[in-house]
Amino acid sequence: MLSSMAAAGSVKAALQVAEVLEAIVSCCVGPEGRQVLCTKPTGEVLLSRNGGRLLEALHLEHPIARGLHAITDREKDPLMCENIQTHGRHWKNCSRWKFISQALLTFQTQILDGIMDQYLSRHFLSIFSSAKERTLCRSSLELLLEAYFCGRVGRNNHKFISQLMCDYFFKCMTCKSGIGVFELVDDHFVELNVGVTGLPVSDSRIIAGLVLQKDFSVYRPADGDMRMVIVTETIQPLFSTSGSEFILNSEAQFQTSQFWIMEKTKAIMKHLHSQNVKLLISSVKQPDLVSYYAGVNGISVVECLSSEEVSLIRRIIGLSPFVPPQAFSQCEIPNTALVKFCKPLILRSKRYVHLGLISTCAFIPHSIVLCGPVHGLIEQHEDALHGALKMLRQLFKDLDLNYMTQTNDQNGTSSLFIYKNSGESYQAPDPGNGSIQRPYQDTVAENKDALEKTQTYLKVHSNLVIPDVELETYIPYSTPTLTPTDTFQTVETLTCLSLERNRLTDYYEPLLKNNSTAYSTRGNRIEISYENLQVTNITRKGSMLPVSCKLPNMGTSQSYLSSSMPAGCVLPVGGNFEILLHYYLLNYAKKCHQSEETMVSMIIANALLGIPKVLYKSKTGKYSFPHTYIRAVHALQTNQPLVSSQTGLESVMGKYQLLTSVLQCLTKILTIDMVITVKRHPQKVHNQDSEDEL
Amino acid sequence: MSRLEAKKPSLCKSEPLTTERVRTTLSVLKRIVTSCYGPSGRLKQLHNGFGGYVCTTSQSSALLSHLLVTHPILKILTASIQNHVSSFSDCGLFTAILCCNLIENVQRLGLTPTTVIRLNKHLLSLCISYLKSETCGCRIPVDFSSTQILLCLVRSILTSKPACMLTRKETEHVSALILRAFLLTIPENAEGHIILGKSLIVPLKGQRVIDSTVLPGILIEMSEVQLMRLLPIKKSTALKVALFCTTLSGDTSDTGEGTVVVSYGVSLENAVLDQLLNLGRQLISDHVDLVLCQKVIHPSLKQFLNMHRIIAIDRIGVTLMEPLTKMTGTQPIGSLGSICPNSYGSVKDVCTAKFGSKHFFHLIPNEATICSLLLCNRNDTAWDELKLTCQTALHVLQLTLKEPWALLGGGCTETHLAAYIRHKTHNDPESILKDDECTQTELQLIAEAFCSALESVVGSLEHDGGEILTDMKYGHLWSVQADSPCVANWPDLLSQCGCGLYNSQEELNWSFLRSTCRPFVPQSCLPHEAVVSASNLTLDCLTAKLSGLQVAVETANLILDLSYVIEDKN
Repeated sequence: MLSSMAAAGSVKAALQVAEVLEAIVSCCVGPEGRQVLCTKPTGEVLLSRNGGRLLEALHLEHPIARGLHAITDREKDPLMCENIQTHGRHWKNCSRWKFISQALLTFQTQILDGIMDQYLSRHFLSIFSSAKERTLCRSSLELLLEAYFCGRVGRNNHKFISQLMCDYFFKCMTCKSGIGVFELVDDHFVELNVGVTGLPVSDSRIIAGLVLQKDFSVYRPADGDMRMVIVTETIQPLFSTSGSEFILNSEAQFQTSQFWIMEKTKAIMKHLHSQNVKLLISSVKQPDLVSYYAGVNGISVVECLSSEEVSLIRRIIGLSPFVPPQAFSQCEIPNTALVKFCKPLILRSKRYVHLGLISTCAFIPHSIVLCGPVHGLIEQHEDALHGALKMLRQLFKDLDLNYMTQTNDQNGTSSLFIYKNSGESYQAPDPGNGSIQRPYQDTVAENKDALEKTQTYLKVHSNLVIPDVELETYIPYSTPTLTPTDTFQTVETLTCLSLERNRLTDYYEPLLKNNSTAYSTRGNRIEISYENLQVTNITRKGSMLPVSCKLPNMGTSQSYLSSSMPAGCVLPVGGNFEILLHYYLLNYAKKCHQSEETMVSMIIANALLGIPKVLYKSKTGKYSFPHTYIRAVHALQTNQPLVSSQTGLESVMGKYQLLTSVLQCLTKILTIDMVITVKRHPQKVHNQDSEDEL
Repeated sequence: MSRLEAKKPSLCKSEPLTTERVRTTLSVLKRIVTSCYGPSGRLKQLHNGFGGYVCTTSQSSALLSHLLVTHPILKILTASIQNHVSSFSDCGLFTAILCCNLIENVQRLGLTPTTVIRLNKHLLSLCISYLKSETCGCRIPVDFSSTQILLCLVRSILTSKPACMLTRKETEHVSALILRAFLLTIPENAEGHIILGKSLIVPLKGQRVIDSTVLPGILIEMSEVQLMRLLPIKKSTALKVALFCTTLSGDTSDTGEGTVVVSYGVSLENAVLDQLLNLGRQLISDHVDLVLCQKVIHPSLKQFLNMHRIIAIDRIGVTLMEPLTKMTGTQPIGSLGSICPNSYGSVKDVCTAKFGSKHFFHLIPNEATICSLLLCNRNDTAWDELKLTCQTALHVLQLTLKEPWALLGGGCTETHLAAYIRHKTHNDPESILKDDECTQTELQLIAEAFCSALESVVGSLEHDGGEILTDMKYGHLWSVQADSPCVANWPDLLSQCGCGLYNSQEELNWSFLRSTCRPFVPQSCLPHEAVVSASNLTLDCLTAKLSGLQVAVETANLILDLSYVIEDKN
């Protein structure tokens, strides 16, 4: 029976859905976020602060909600629903959705990358202490992970868990290990951790070697030179293999074949013994006979391993399975590997197999033992650790940015054109002191030794040009008189600002002067500080010579550029990314002459502020959102470094990916004009999860 | 498999702890657990309308495994207690009561969850570091050279489980048995790494508790007829044992994935039987005296072995295989062909025994780390309870072997700890707060909630309307019977503190528990002579209690942190 129902795909409906979801996920966001308890249909309980998990647990019915779910599932924060909600608000009175959706798409594909590259990148810090070799120091990783786990696990455990992750990272990886290690750990994370219920969380630890969630079926203590083999089939030969027929003609024949099987098994095990094999790892159950002869020959046996476990072991030690030789010879068995130890490990009166594998790849095997009073909590921690790993994996990749710059001479102001060397992947010189340089710390001290380095910079970037229009756009924005006329009044801060107008006007007056005097130096900074903070420090002080080169091909109206965001870009936590992007988007909007571009930029800029607002919800006084916001904007206008009230770093890559996903989803939602509910069982398996059944 | 029905949307509730339903269910659970606590705790009779037997108990493990909780918050709570109990056996009720109390007390304060969680964590670490420190005034070292403290530990566990229905004499008897069973599992020549043996509990229902006993070795239950058939062995030396893990019944299984075609007239049964008899001949020539098989032995082989004065026992079952391997030192044989001579083991002697109405075949080991505890009780439910208690006691002894300390029981540790925390938070709040954003007032409030939660736990030891007092010197617990004359002369009314370490003859000041009194420093560092002279102490397992404390606070924090509950209604 097919019954279908159609409903107008109104933005209003989408807005309602987004509002409800936002209410739920916003309470989990940020360091002050709380836990949500979910029950599974099986009756199990699960704790979570992961947006994707929560939305999954809700079993959403509304197709738009399911669309939202698809993003949060993939990405880092659940908080982007907030974003969409704010977006939606603006369209209450707007009927040209299709048009806006087009504009959004243009924005996402052509403008956003440019903003990231030209403006935001100057604020980026690098997680690597040495950009060239990509070495990572512990303190910066700690800051990054602590901020990550702050939003992912319960308040009383985040410090401990982030320490655990940090330890794990440094124990498993050598300095030279590249992205491959991340892939291995990511793929096999389930096999690399063991959950133990009934113990306090603080008993969680990292164990050197690999812990398999199995017990030995035969255990023979051994030491000295130990080798192991992996088998994927039974060692004992069988009467008949699949597809063949074995004809028994006499009792004697049966007895001799049995005898032959026994002798053969015995011989194989003896041979393994003679090759110093002390451990047999099998993905299938071995017959009693094999276990018996293994025991007799002092070989320990681990059976019934999952294919994932076997593939993990094979990836670590690079060993292919042992195939019992057909024609028996006394030659050496090729597929054996040395093991440091193999012993039972007892965790809360359950026995596990503990292997000391000798790794042939960059991964040094370690297992995480996760303890917790209930399984739901352990699962949350496991999820969070896995998520952190994925985040790091992403952070270690470069991101290609492609965008289009437009230059218009309509206003008679000097046009903005920026030339980028796309091929040149320029790495900053090593700052030498091995930790992340924060712009707001010790700027003076660093200035001195950094001066000479910048000289070299200038040569590299000598063909760069300065955007002249910037000054004009900074000033009108900062003047509070502009605020009431702003069409997008959802930003409470701005309203807040206008209340304090008198005071603030006074406040900004010296600032305006400042801006004009700092003009020439600021121009440089924009170019020079591209992708490196070290330089940002210097130029911020205004101690550099101004560079002014005119570009030859001024007057071109469009050009496509591509550049890349280097791996390891981070920003301090606490809504910095959002506030920065908001600020630059507004600036950009001021400069734009196409109305829809301006509008889209403004909308996104204001929607972005929703996130810091949630983060600062519980803060009062000096740390409340309006204060923080004003401080940040002021700092940006006066070229001072942003001061964050929180310590911790977050990956720019994750944020960027999230934003693009949100924009894409939004584009899709806005294009939908009708929702047809089909009450029929999905016909195919792959259709089952499709979001929009249009 | 695809679903036949679309999934129903889940139910989502915000601020779950504030709802009346949750509060009521939490308080019901709290009433159930508090009323069970302690030696005078009330029993609960659990019966399932769908069948199964009625369970009478006061132990958390039995109670919670039979209870069916539906609310997710309660599920979290009971799951964490059950997990604690399955890893430490003891202190389940303590954990449950403390957790419920903490949630209740903290909720009344109305502070933000962030503050509460942070401060609870600080207080917990304060407790843990105190209980682990050298100056701790409520723990005593366990001396393994004498049985006195170990017996106290076991006795305390037995008396705190009233559903075992033991008299005083029976308690003494069972305590001694448990201790003996435990000591038998410790290998004699222990060097470096100790691997404990195992105590097997053998049920003997319908007998008097006093008939319970401990025997070294393994008892295999048999029918009388079977036992009669076994011929007595007369041998002065040790008996050679062969232990089979593979079947000796003569069936040919596992021929591979292909087909096996048997020609007409070929009898596989005969072929296999021939093989079995060959095996029998090898056993005879190897001078084996005893053949044990996990699975079934073919009757012909059995008879053949019997004819050659070899005792053959089959259907041992998988549970006995590991202890048998350990005790006899054999290698379980999985082959019907040639047997390695080093896979045989030995036992010192075998004999038959009759306990109550049951007949056993008794394997006596050369060197014992395996023993059998024959446990008797009058009826099924009482036996189940006693068995659980014995397992708890054996586990607690093992934990104590690892960490040779015991905590003072009878509620004295809790009152002492509460006094210590009160004193610490009043006199040295800076050291606890350090760099946190919490204020001193918040700390005082949370500390009070924490301490009164601890004191409420011991308050629930009293079920008969009596009063609970605490002294102002040691911070121990003293209880007064109900309807005793009003505040006349405390030293006459009170005889001993809860753990039995101090008596009322000292010059002490008392105050009612839960009455507001000024904080005092509870005396730390126990006097050594007091511990030695005291013969009848009530003691608790340190490891289990520490973990129980941690689990209770962690679970309470977890529950207080919840902002939404999403229930899947599928």
